[in-house]
Formats: sequence, C-alpha cells, structure tokens
Amino acid sequence: MRFRPTVAETIAGVLLLLLVVAALWPSLLAPGDPLAVSHADAFQPPSLAHLFGTDESGRDIYTRVVHGASESLLIGVLATAIGIGLAVVLGFVAGLGPRWLDFGTTRVVEVLFAFPGLLLALLFIVVTGPGVLSSTIAVGLATAPGYARIIRSQVRRTASAEFIEAARVLGRGRLWITARHILPNVTAALFVLATLGLGQAIIWVSSLSYLGLGAVPPAAEWGAMLAAGRTYIANFWWMTFFPGLAIVASAAAATVIGRGIQKRNRSAA
Amino acid sequence: MPSRRFSRPRAAVVVTAAVALLLAACSPGGGATTTEPSGEPVTGGTLTYASGDAEPSCLDPHVGGNYPQALIATQYLESLVSLDEDGEVVPWLATEWDASDDGLEWEFTLRDDVTFTDGTPFDAEAVAANIAHVQDPATASSTGYLALAKIKDVVAVDDHLVRFEMSAPDSALLESLSQVWVAMESPKALERSQEENCAAPVGTGPFVVDTWERQDSVTLVRNDDYNSPPADVAEATEGSDLPYLDSIVWRFIPDSASRYAALQSGEVQVIDNAQPDTIKSAESDDAIEELDAPRPGAANRIELNSGKAPFDDERVREAFIRSVNVDDGIQSLFFGTAERSYSPLSSVEPLGLSLPDLFTVDTDAASALLDEAGWDERDADGYRAKDGERLTLDFPVSTNQSIPAEQSLFEQIQADAKTAGFEVKLQPLDLSSWYGVLAENEYDLVSAPYTKVGPDVLRILYHSDSITPAPSGYFANLAQVDDADLDELLTQASAASDAGERASLYEEAQRIILEGYYILPLYDQQNHFLRSSSVQGLRAMPTVSTPTFAGAWLVP
Amino acid sequence: MAGALTLPVPTTGARRRPVPGNRHWLLLRAGGVLFVLWAAATITFFALRLVPGDPAEAILGGPGSQAGPEALAQVRREYGLDQPLVVQYLTYLGRLVTGDLGQSYSLHKPVLTAIGEQFGATLTLALVSLALAWALACALAAWSVRGGRVAWAIGSGLELVAAAVPHFWLATVLILFFSLTLGILPPVSVPGPLGIVLPALTMAIPLAGFLGQVMRESLLTAMESPFVTTARARGESEVRIFWRHTLRHAAIPAVGLSGWAFGSLISGAVVVESVFARQGLGRSLLSAVQLRDVTLVTGIVLVVALAYAVMTLVTDLADRLIDPRTRAVAE
Repeated sequence: MRFRPTVAETIAGVLLLLLVVAALWPSLLAPGDPLAVSHADAFQPPSLAHLFGTDESGRDIYTRVVHGASESLLIGVLATAIGIGLAVVLGFVAGLGPRWLDFGTTRVVEVLFAFPGLLLALLFIVVTGPGVLSSTIAVGLATAPGYARIIRSQVRRTASAEFIEAARVLGRGRLWITARHILPNVTAALFVLATLGLGQAIIWVSSLSYLGLGAVPPAAEWGAMLAAGRTYIANFWWMTFFPGLAIVASAAAATVIGRGIQKRNRSAA
Repeated sequence: MPSRRFSRPRAAVVVTAAVALLLAACSPGGGATTTEPSGEPVTGGTLTYASGDAEPSCLDPHVGGNYPQALIATQYLESLVSLDEDGEVVPWLATEWDASDDGLEWEFTLRDDVTFTDGTPFDAEAVAANIAHVQDPATASSTGYLALAKIKDVVAVDDHLVRFEMSAPDSALLESLSQVWVAMESPKALERSQEENCAAPVGTGPFVVDTWERQDSVTLVRNDDYNSPPADVAEATEGSDLPYLDSIVWRFIPDSASRYAALQSGEVQVIDNAQPDTIKSAESDDAIEELDAPRPGAANRIELNSGKAPFDDERVREAFIRSVNVDDGIQSLFFGTAERSYSPLSSVEPLGLSLPDLFTVDTDAASALLDEAGWDERDADGYRAKDGERLTLDFPVSTNQSIPAEQSLFEQIQADAKTAGFEVKLQPLDLSSWYGVLAENEYDLVSAPYTKVGPDVLRILYHSDSITPAPSGYFANLAQVDDADLDELLTQASAASDAGERASLYEEAQRIILEGYYILPLYDQQNHFLRSSSVQGLRAMPTVSTPTFAGAWLVP
Repeated sequence: MAGALTLPVPTTGARRRPVPGNRHWLLLRAGGVLFVLWAAATITFFALRLVPGDPAEAILGGPGSQAGPEALAQVRREYGLDQPLVVQYLTYLGRLVTGDLGQSYSLHKPVLTAIGEQFGATLTLALVSLALAWALACALAAWSVRGGRVAWAIGSGLELVAAAVPHFWLATVLILFFSLTLGILPPVSVPGPLGIVLPALTMAIPLAGFLGQVMRESLLTAMESPFVTTARARGESEVRIFWRHTLRHAAIPAVGLSGWAFGSLISGAVVVESVFARQGLGRSLLSAVQLRDVTLVTGIVLVVALAYAVMTLVTDLADRLIDPRTRAVAE
C-alpha cells in the first residue's frame, strides 16, 4: 500500500512529533524553568527574549507552554481513555448482552447522561478534592455516557449486519464474532471519537480551572494557564492566546491524523 | 500615590517614626471618602450598579451577615449611629447616647420624626424588636449576633428612649451598632415570614426594595419621604431633597472581565471588585473614575496555624515570614493599587500598629532559624526535612474569596518558599470545601477576610476563645493564637472605657501578634469601585466602606 | 455497510430489532424515565451529603460571616441536618413522590419556585443556541462542499478551531469585539432579543464545530452515494441536490447527537450564564453545588434529566422524519 500524506497530514504529523518531544523532553525545546518567578518581567508582551511574552508573575509563557505539554496531553489522553474505556465496556455489554442487560446498562448510561457533564465533574471534584488527577477522572466520567451511546448503537448496527449473520450461521462463537468482526468495525469509529475527545478533554479541564477547581498551581497546564490569563484578556492578550493555540493545535493535529488513518482504513476495506 | 485615589484619612495613631514616614510618603494629604462632586446635583434618573460579589441569598443583613448583603442593604437600611470621615461616632437614627459609669447600661435617645417605608413609626419598641430579631437563633444571624453578643436586655424607657442592659462592658458597642448588619428594620415587616422579609426588607433608608429578579437584579426605588441621613451628611447636604436618583438597578455580574466591559460600554455606571489591571487602565480613561475604600477591621493577611507542627515552633514561623518576598509581588500584581500592610488591622483603623521591621526578607536568617529548629536535612527535591519528613505547608485557598491577583501572589509566595526549602501546597477550593478543611484543622497557611468596625476585631480573631470548640464549625482564630497575656489584654481592652487606655492595650495586643510571627500582613481588604464620570456624589460609608447612593446623582 | 460504520450514529437501536408492542415499549420507556429520575436524585443526594463541608455554615451566609454554635445548631435542627443521613434521604424521597422538591436553604424559598424562575431563561438559551449551531454548521457545510478543495479545507479548519475553544474564553473575545470594539451588542445580558445574541453565539460556535465535524464525515459518503448520482442524472440542480439529499443524509448522525448536544448546552450554560450575568439554571447549579444546597442541586438535576428525556424523544422523532429509510418503513 502506498502511503502519500497530504499537506495537512504532514503538518499535523510534525506538530504531533513536536508535542511528543515537548511532553517527554521539554528541556530540549525550552531550557528555562517554567516556574521561575521574576517580578520585574511581569506582563511583558511577546519579544525575542520572551517569544510568547510573560505572565502575571513574570514567568516565560513559551517555556510554560512547552513544559505544560506533558500534563495537558496526559489529561487529554487519560480523560479520553477513561471515557472511552468505560464506554466500551458499557457499550458492548449493552450492545451484545441479552435484552435485560441492555435495558439495565442503557438505563445506567441514561442516568449518567441525565447529569449535565459539568455537574458530574463538579460533584466528583468536590468529593475527591481538586487536582489534575481528579479533574481528569471527572472529565473522563463526564464524557463516558456520550461515548457509550455511540458505541452501543455501533455495536448493534454491526451485530445485525449480514456478514455477522453469516458468521453466526457458520456456527462461530460469540466471542469470536466480537473479536473478529465487531471490535475492528467499532474501533474505526472510536478512533475519530478519540481524536475529537482529546482536545475536548483539555478544554473541559480548563473550564474547571475557570470555575476555580482545575489544576493545582503552579502547574504549567494549558487549561489552567488559559483560565488564569482570561482575567487579563483585555490588557494582555498573549496570556490566553498561546496556551489556547497549543490546545487548538494539538486537538486539530490529532483530528487530522485520526481522519487520515480512518480514510485509509476505509479504502483498504 | 496618584491623587485620584480617594482613601479615608489616615488619622492613625502612628506608633513608630518609621511608619509615620512611610504612611506620609504613601498618602499625601489623605483625601476624602466622597468623590469631589462637580456641578449642581441633578434630580432623577436610574443608575445601574454591578456587583461582583455573590448575590445575597437574603436581602436582610440580619440573616447571616456578609459583605454582599452590607453593600446593598446600605441603600435601604440605616443604623442607630454612624461614623464621620475622621472615624468619630456621629448621630444617625439615635440623636444622643450615654453609658453608665460601670459600662453596664447604655441609653439612646431616638429621633422622633422617622418612619419606616411601610408607615410604621421608628421608636424604642422598634429598636427592641430589631435587637431581639438579631439575637433570635431562628434568624440565623452570625455577624450581627456576634456584634451584639454583650447586650443582655433592651428596655423601651419611653417612646423615644431606649436602654441596653449589658452582660459586660463593651467598649466597641457604638462601633458595632454603626454596622449595617445590625441596622433598623420595620418591626411590622420583621413579623412576616423569613422568606418574605428576605425578599424585601423594610427600613428607613433613601431607597426601597421594589423587585428582586433572582440572579439578575434588584430594583431599588426612591424613598420619597426620606429624612434621616447620618448627621455628617445632613450637615453637608442641608436644604437638598435626598436622594437625587429615582431608582437603582442593582445587578450581579460575577465575571470581572464582563463587569468591566459593561462599565466601559455604558451598560452600568458603577462596579465594585474592580481588578487591579482594569483600575490601572481606567486611569487613562477620562470616562471612568475610581473610588478606593479599604474595608475596616482586619487587614488581608496570611495566618500561620500555630496550633500544630511545623508552625507550633515560632522559629519556623519566623523563617517562613523572613523568606518570602511579598512587596515586589504586590507591586507588580496590583499595579500600585494596593499598599503593603505590616499591621493586623486595616489602615483605616486609627488604632492600627505597624511593625515593618519584622517583615524584611532575610533568607540567611531564615535558613539559620530552620537549621536551629531541626529542619536541617534536604530531600531529593531540595525541600527541607526533619527525621525524613518533608517541611510541607498546606495552603487551602478559597477561590470565592481570593481575587486572581491574590491567588497569583500566593503562587509567588509558594515559589519563594520553595527556595527556602518549604513545600507549600496550594489547594484551590470552593467555599464549602474550604470551610470543611479549616474545620478539620488541615491547614498550615490560610487567608480569610474579616470586616468589622473597630479594633475589637482583634478579640474575635486572636482570643483563644475563638480557637475551634469542637462542634461549633467555624472559628475565627485561624492562626490559633493561644496566649494568656494576649487574652487578658484583649478582654481588658474590650471593657476599657478610657480611650487612651484602650489604645495602649490594643497596641500591646498587636505587638504580641506581630512579634509572635502569627500572621503575614499583605494589604488592606481591597475595595475598589469604578464609576462612570457621569456619576457624582458617590461616597463610601466611613463605617464598613460600602458605597452609599443617598447623595449621588447622574450628570445627564 | 462498511462506510456507514465509520459514522458515530447514536440513533436508537431499538427499532432495528424486533419491536415490542407499542404499548409495551411505551411502558418500558416510562419506567426507564422514572428509574433515571430516581437514580439521579439518589446519587446527587448522597454525593452532596457525603462531601466535606458543612451546609449549616453555608446557610449562615458564607464569606465574611462568622456563625456561633447556637446559630449552627438551630440551623441544623431546622433543616433536619442533625438527623441520620438515611432518615434525611427517606424524608426527602417521600416528599419527592408527592411532587414536593423541598426548600432551598441557600435561597430561602421552595426549590420549585426557584427553578421556575430560572428554567425559562436556560431553556430559551439552549434552544436558541442549538438552532444557531445548526444554522452555522449547515451554512458552513453548504459553502465548503460547493466551494472546492480550498473551501473544504478552510471549512474543516474552522470547525476544528471552533470545536476547540472553551466557552469562557470565547465569551470574552466576543464581548471585546462586539461590545467594545464595534459597540453593537451589550456585553452582559439585557432584556429583549439583543441580550441573548452573544450568550447564544458563545454556546453555538463550539457546538457548530462539533456538529460540523460529524456531518462532514457523512457528507463525504453521501455525496458519492447512488441516490445523489441518480438525482444528478435526473437533472436536479446541485443546490437542490445538496439541500434535499446530501445534507439530509449527512444530518442524520448529527440530529441523533442533538440530544447529547442539549445536555452539553446545560453544562455550557454554567459558564456562559456566569460570564454574561444571565439568569438561568446553570448559574443556580454552580452556586448550589458550592453551597452544598442538596435540595436545589437535586431539583435542578431532576429537571434537566426530564428535559433531556423529552429532548431524546424529540430527536428520535426528528430522526424518523429525516431518514428516508425509516420513513419508508413507517409508511
């Protein structure tokens, strides 16, 4: 199979690579200390010395954005993984189990769904205390029902498709059918969801930061930086612009790559 | 300081020469609480006020009793006495008063020409009903309840003479009575259900509560029969028919950026809780003026929990205070809108004692102190440790009470403390969780505002009685100062009838608090208002620094 | 079928299996709704009562007010907070059955009244936002489908960005632009239709981005599908083909998402109502959670759950109307 990436995919690929480097070895890209306070340098606009400017404590925003990659990406990946993982279990149980189990699980999903996502997250954080981990789990929990519904209907659709009927007629076992046919088919849809979810999760956590319950200071987490900078948006735009750009760029890159993979899967099938 | 800051005159009994110099340098000429009115007052018009504080759950400040309630209630409720610009007690609904020699009986002569806006006359019975209402546990008053704690009984001697019988002498009684949390409401209105009274309390003030659209606004309309401004205002505005405004729309806009945008676009004319950077940028905007009214009572400060390790060791407390640089942070984060404080009391409190020398940064001294106290190991992350245990400080932060600039200041303190080997764990919490953490004694550092008129606030904050008695929930002595000498001083001061004696007792008490390194004072409780230049005659009450619109008008 | 599998299609699976009798189905469904309401109420109640933080403190005024022990004891008695938790729960549930949502202690009024005052504002905001999001998503889709490769790239780029901006940031940017730079829209909510524009736009833009992304996937397949080719062969104009066939096909998964979208709008309302100082349940919810006002939070959760159930029903219905396959079956 020939692999010829589009321009968008190339850019997205390079971006993702940079993000991974930033997440694993931030000092390669930004040798400074993301927590170094310097009163005299507070609120500096972008310049050669400070590419992205400085924040209210005179910390270099470029350094903070780079060093924030690991935590922010971890939030995005982990929250999405929790959400989708939970959803897969619920979705498959509902989609493949007997009618009563489907009914039960669907109700559980509906109960979760009935909570506005943010409330679910708020309640969870109030119970466990604030912090990146609890925000992340909270967001994972809050997004799970959405994924679960989608997965369930995917599973149902696939399960009633003709080729599954055929496999069944051939006497293949349930597990075999699930592993061989249903899972691969559902995975494709999951992938797109996950790429969309990545950026969403970071945004969710930043909304919690805005409400005062997100990452714990002085973490250089993008969402927290965005929330903190918003107070100063009228006078110091760069404080929100660059962390926001990082979120959008990573979400976009993930989506483009995800779509690319999906497209190839489709044509391969 | 720019001369546009209108702060209360600092008639401070300045104790050290250094402080005198410092204050003089910072506030030339004092200023006035009123914004210099320009032109003749204009009658009529509707003013929109936007509050950044939480919407009160009850408009009657007897119930609960917090600052947002005080802000709005100042427009429709009035107290027995007030304070003038110099901090002197002046007549308001009471014209004169007198205390017995033992301080156990107070008599107040009341005005005989005042009626509540529901037509009920203001008289001795009304005063008795109000005190009873505040003291009734069913009202669930907290601030007002504490303020009136020593009033045992209220006797209506005749229609316009009322006697308070005290359980103990209370030198702070007049200051307490000037607060809006114990303002006078119509006894007839108080008889209604709490739900009704909360929605529309009835007072004698310049405005009347008309409607309350929850989470949107309260509409206040002019009291056409208004005749009872405090004595100092009555004198200054003699011959005018107060208030000038027809109505006030009191909005709640919690988001600071939106609130400022609403002011800039002319949607509202006055906002409170103005953020430092917007105050700064408003300076260059001719259409927007500032009113700075630091709140009385305690200064904003970080309390060091001396009730448990590691801050039960005074050396560790001093080391912490010596290692954090607060001045530069305040300067850069607050854009020069907040002055560093070195006193437990607000700069508007005449009896405040400032000891700046105690708070100079000296990292070497701090280091030596920590070594001496046994925190001489360093762990892998560079934090100090003793017996393998890290020097960790829990710092719960109420995101409802600390503005962003203050939260950033705490982050900077965290960074400074890290250099010295302290691990400060900042925990942003919502209000209820924050209360919960305090009640569990799971904090080493905490910052909590406390507004009360007069130095008696020291008794509430630092007397050992205020250290958590198990079931009571909240406790005010967050530094958990437990010092018998201090208790004695505060008790004596609150009973002292002689002004000079009272002042020296409070000075000594503050010295113990400061020299014991129990607190790290930051700045006055910030209370900045921005107004459109079309608003004239706006003034902050010299009592609890809430703005009053009694003499305000709109330039068309 | 493989192509369709890639669509996240949250349509109801129910009608694809042997359908139980209509009455039976309705009963099951009603039972389901009741169960959901009960479970939501129970979870909220216990979650809020088990967290640290004393509601009695909150009742007594919050910041800057200090409550004495007598006052706290009185409040605990009055609101039954001194009873064992199970008793409080059963009492609450008992009242709930009779339609009494209880008394909100943070607002000093019945929960039902409190919700009634705020519900309309949030519902209006959510519906206007949903409509606006649909309009934006469709307009962008229409433009980028017909505008060639560049338009397609720009369109999907815009959607990516739109879906990735947080409400609280977008709101402020919109305020700065429309209220301060242009001076044409009020920065905070005001009575009348003008006041809802910015809040609704703030909620609609990220949602439109999300809906657009989902639609775009299916637009691709729809444009290559036989019925579009047939229509073309019939000589129908491209515009007509797009609006009548392609979009309709592409919208199916997105319509299915509208139920979900409605739920997400309520979450968005928490932030947006605060920023624009708008009345609404989102704001009530936030302050109620912060004050541990159990009855009010539970009440709001119940109302939102009910609204969500209704919304799901409506989207199921819309789904049937749009999807020609199901309609053929129905006919």
